[in-house]
Amino acid sequence: MARVVVLGAGISGHTAALHLRRLLGKGHEVVVVSPNSKWNWIPSNIWVGVGKMNTDQVTFPLAPIYKRKGITFHQALATTLYPEGSAELASPHVAIKYTDPSRLNETANLAYDYLINATGPKLNFAATPGLGPDGYTVSVCTAPHATEAAGHLAAAIAKMKQGERQRLVVGVGHGTCTCEGAAFEYTFNVEHEIRDAGVRDMADITYLTNEYELGDFGVGGMTFTQNGFETTSKLWTESLFRERGVNAVLQAHVEKIEPGVIHYEQLDGSKNTLEYDFAMLLPPFRGADMQVFNAAGEDITAEVFAPSGFMKVDANYTAKPFEEWRAEDWPSTYESARFPNVFGVGIAFAPPHQISKPRTSPNGTVITPAPPRTGMPSGVMGKTAAMTIFDRIKMGSSATSHKASMANMGAACVASAGTGLRRGSAAAMTMYPVVPDYQRFGPTGRSAKDTFGEIGLAGHWIKYMLHFAFIYKAKARPLWYLIPE
Amino acid sequence: MDEAAASIASSPLPTDQTLRRRKSLVFQLWRFAALNLRMLTMITKGSH
Repeated sequence: MARVVVLGAGISGHTAALHLRRLLGKGHEVVVVSPNSKWNWIPSNIWVGVGKMNTDQVTFPLAPIYKRKGITFHQALATTLYPEGSAELASPHVAIKYTDPSRLNETANLAYDYLINATGPKLNFAATPGLGPDGYTVSVCTAPHATEAAGHLAAAIAKMKQGERQRLVVGVGHGTCTCEGAAFEYTFNVEHEIRDAGVRDMADITYLTNEYELGDFGVGGMTFTQNGFETTSKLWTESLFRERGVNAVLQAHVEKIEPGVIHYEQLDGSKNTLEYDFAMLLPPFRGADMQVFNAAGEDITAEVFAPSGFMKVDANYTAKPFEEWRAEDWPSTYESARFPNVFGVGIAFAPPHQISKPRTSPNGTVITPAPPRTGMPSGVMGKTAAMTIFDRIKMGSSATSHKASMANMGAACVASAGTGLRRGSAAAMTMYPVVPDYQRFGPTGRSAKDTFGEIGLAGHWIKYMLHFAFIYKAKARPLWYLIPE
Repeated sequence: MDEAAASIASSPLPTDQTLRRRKSLVFQLWRFAALNLRMLTMITKGSH
């Protein structure tokens, strides 16, 4: 009998756990450790953030699903890895600390044969003074954060209805943030709500971003073919900003936030301020900050994790200039660089470098989006690790790894620009591959046929359909595995 | 006007016909089917 422990129950970890349970016989144990009691379909949080959905529509309790599927669940936080065992327990294990209210702060050691680290992001609000719900801005990163954001937005709309002009800022709260697509979505959903409320003329909406240009989205932008011409995601996105009357501040690193004032530096080194009445700024991400010890009790965290807290996997982490970046630098098996029975998937793995060209201000401030690795790629990585582990349990540790590099993987991003089955709108984009491969696809780095974007009501329907499809899948309803990651 | 604002101001606006198409139920039903098919094709093309 083998025991597979999955740390994290987000898109990547939950996908891995469900596939492992489906593939492995009952003689093997699948264990999930997550500090959260609920699963959250994060892409729909933006609709919670404008009051169009509630928390219960985007989350559900994990425990009943895991009970039904025969997966052991610990509501706990993984704190320390012992991949070679310890004086206390000879086999590889992970130390956990319970967040489950019935066992709060109790600790335990979980032995494993295989471990999947899918701990996702630590929301690093602390990187920017004043950022986040404990500071002076709101967030849509979690369902409760989004609920709070919706309340603040409703209050701003109420003030506009009373004739008070409001300045709304949506974007990212640090120079190294990722998930610009989510900020973009929230910007246009806010604009849509304000227009629906009949007070659009009372709002100044500004998108504040670390992107070098609009349409970068942390993937270096895209090139689309439309009506026989090549066009860029920059031009396409700028057109939407012009059509909807949204301002943009680009190349910005938010330094600190005070009540009503955002202080930021731009790539040219200038220091500026932006006044606001409502601000939703996403935080930068860190890894889960677990410690790792070897059999001798020595701290080997730096061998297993990058300084960012993300896990080093089968990527090429050699520092080199942008011009020398290659698609093959990106990992494909997600096996830990140090321990072959440990995998790092989803946001938890350390990317070898950014996808967008790195840029630094004259003051030495890095202002470049971190690579997005959420959603579809996260799910695919989780499934890939699960399939490799299944093969190794069945065929032995020499079984070939399954592969899914982001340099050979497409992604669809449906960015909502407003809700409503008749009046909604979304920018539906796909790219193949996520990480540009200039050797294979030439100057654009991506397949012209499979990289496209389109704005319209159909995009909203797709996003709405995906909301139900992925919650159905995550609830492991009949034939859930037929829905692609 | 700063560089970002100037760039946005000089970007093309959609025509009335494009805006109508983006909201047309018949046209968008067709685009819904076409986009889903295109996305599914792209997804299955990956190495996974």
